[in-house]
Amino acid sequence: MPSEIVHTPESLLKHPLKLLKQMRQDLLASRELAWQLMVRDIRAQYRQSLLGIAWAFLPPIITAIGFTLANEAKVINIQATNIPYPAYVIFSMALWQTFVEALNGPIQAVTLAKPMLARVNFPREAIILAKLGEVFFNFAIKLILIVVVFIWFRVPVSWTVILAPVALIHLVMLGTLIGILLSPLGALYQDVSKGLTMATGFWLFLTPVVFPVPKEGMFGLLVRLNPVTPLLVTTRELATTGIVSDSLSFWIVSIITIIGLLLTWIAFRLAMPYVIERLSS
Amino acid sequence: MSNKIENQKIDTYSKNAEIVASIENVSKKFCRDLKKSLFYGVQDIATDLIGGRRNSAQLRTGEFWALKDINFHLRRGEALGLVGANGAGKSTLLRVISGLIKPDTGCVRVRGRLAPLIALGAGFNPILTGRENVYANMSILGLSKNEINERFETVVDFAEIADAIDAPVQTYSSGMAARLGFASAIHTQPDILLIDEVLAVGDIKFKAKCYRRLHELRQNGVSFILVNHNPQAILNICDSAVYLSKGQMMAFGETATILNQYEQDLFSGKLENYSGAMYFPLKSEHESLGLDLVSICFKSPEGDIGKPIISGESTVLCVTFFAHQKFNDVNIHLKITELRQQGNTVLLLSNKNDGMSFDVNSGEHEIQLKIPYLSLVPGSYTMSIKLKEGSLGTFDLVESFKFTVQSDVNMGISMINQQRVWEIKSKL
Repeated sequence: MPSEIVHTPESLLKHPLKLLKQMRQDLLASRELAWQLMVRDIRAQYRQSLLGIAWAFLPPIITAIGFTLANEAKVINIQATNIPYPAYVIFSMALWQTFVEALNGPIQAVTLAKPMLARVNFPREAIILAKLGEVFFNFAIKLILIVVVFIWFRVPVSWTVILAPVALIHLVMLGTLIGILLSPLGALYQDVSKGLTMATGFWLFLTPVVFPVPKEGMFGLLVRLNPVTPLLVTTRELATTGIVSDSLSFWIVSIITIIGLLLTWIAFRLAMPYVIERLSS
Repeated sequence: MSNKIENQKIDTYSKNAEIVASIENVSKKFCRDLKKSLFYGVQDIATDLIGGRRNSAQLRTGEFWALKDINFHLRRGEALGLVGANGAGKSTLLRVISGLIKPDTGCVRVRGRLAPLIALGAGFNPILTGRENVYANMSILGLSKNEINERFETVVDFAEIADAIDAPVQTYSSGMAARLGFASAIHTQPDILLIDEVLAVGDIKFKAKCYRRLHELRQNGVSFILVNHNPQAILNICDSAVYLSKGQMMAFGETATILNQYEQDLFSGKLENYSGAMYFPLKSEHESLGLDLVSICFKSPEGDIGKPIISGESTVLCVTFFAHQKFNDVNIHLKITELRQQGNTVLLLSNKNDGMSFDVNSGEHEIQLKIPYLSLVPGSYTMSIKLKEGSLGTFDLVESFKFTVQSDVNMGISMINQQRVWEIKSKL
């Protein structure tokens, strides 16, 4: 006899244990579906593209060329970086891009899956997981570029590079956290994705991607208050010098991210039925 | 009395079957104003997140009940039809049952795997091949990769697109895509299938195959909830039916009875229930052509006016008129047109054609047309009545006398109610 599923108007928060159990079940149940969806999306993406994986390489390279030229012409004044500047920009840009992809992922996933969401009841976690998989897949491709660039510029790599993926995962989790938080709203209002494009443009300038972490001034404070900074900088440091400059901030942001992600996940589950009823079927 | 009979019928096909889905007092409200609707959505999310009470049983400004207090249940192996006009809430009800949206009051209990045939090919990506899409689609419907591997050949065979399975879905015709979607959905081995007018796609041969497959599934204890605009399809498949109208549940019971009620409401009831009687004011001397209609009505054989006109029963059409003087060869012409479908004329009657004629003196007269067995099927009709002298001169006429024929039994697509007696003669 199959177990009974009951749909009621009650808030799921009234039965927290049941909610957690359901979340665990759905997460397990959605693994395979997420894989299928990811494979489907990646295939469709590359089949409809001439340049294909070049799209993973081009943005960091173009940015690096631009800033390197500007820096050498002294148009902008950037302090010395501890690895060759073009490699610094390409690597940081790849990390930043991965963060932005993780940030946009959930909103894109919900928007694209609208027709599916409105008609079939499947574990909603799957579309988010599929996007996450895509983010890591794209990073894996960027990794080829990074390796080539590191060899080309003879960037020294410390043994701590094996710990770098941990920091990278935290970075992706932070992006996903914000993305999931915004995704129900993003499915209802178009303002969210528009605003987000604008916000990430500004956010980039508050993140030490094309410049090293500034030590002083108002700008330095803003950059250090930016939660992306410790995660991105730690990833970069673990992969190159091996000396983590600000491990305290890294752990504070990481712990907040992990707890926040769990809470956001609950919020996402609660919010989705209301979003779906406002979507056309 | 009729209730008792319905219950017995339902019990005979699934006396011991357990209830797989029960819908208890379910209501759902919607808002037609998009901006408001989105805002209410955000409001609901916020209230739910802080664990507050949504007061979901109350309507806010601009909201209406898309479903109100729906109650019914579905047993194992039962097929249930949902009927109702557009916007009656059928699809909303399916969405609540499948757990896509939360009910605002009441609750829905479901036992077993539920597969919606609401979205054929949900998640079909036009760029990808049929094969890739089947895998994605069936995993959305809840199957593991191994389960899909096992069924893949059957799905492709069923959809009859073996030679196109490795072509992108955007090169498929709409019928092919729908066939593939239907085949994927139906091979997920559901316990309950929700079918929302999807059988309208595909050619006749494929449709027949789908119905055959549905029949097989039912034999294996799968339950259905079927939405279809074709009453005949519901009548053929379903044991019971729910009739929705503007979110209200009008009736739940045996299919034929429910469909009959639905058709009656659809074609007449909501407009007007024609009483079957019409009275005319007296005409002045100079308006009159000598013979004036006084009234037209249907009477029961006992002579009562205003009784329902029942298909297959006896009735009397009475035309009363006043003659200002003596006339010979007075004739009455009746033309009955159905209002249900294309407005075809279904009956043309006149006493002259039947070789009868009436001579009248001055005074009031009533011509009675006795109908021992009314062959008209249930529905709305309009009748034109002409009083004539000979075959040319018209004294008086009525363009449209509307009346409704009702019935206790459903006649499906029959055009006439054939008077009949069944018998069996056996040689021993």
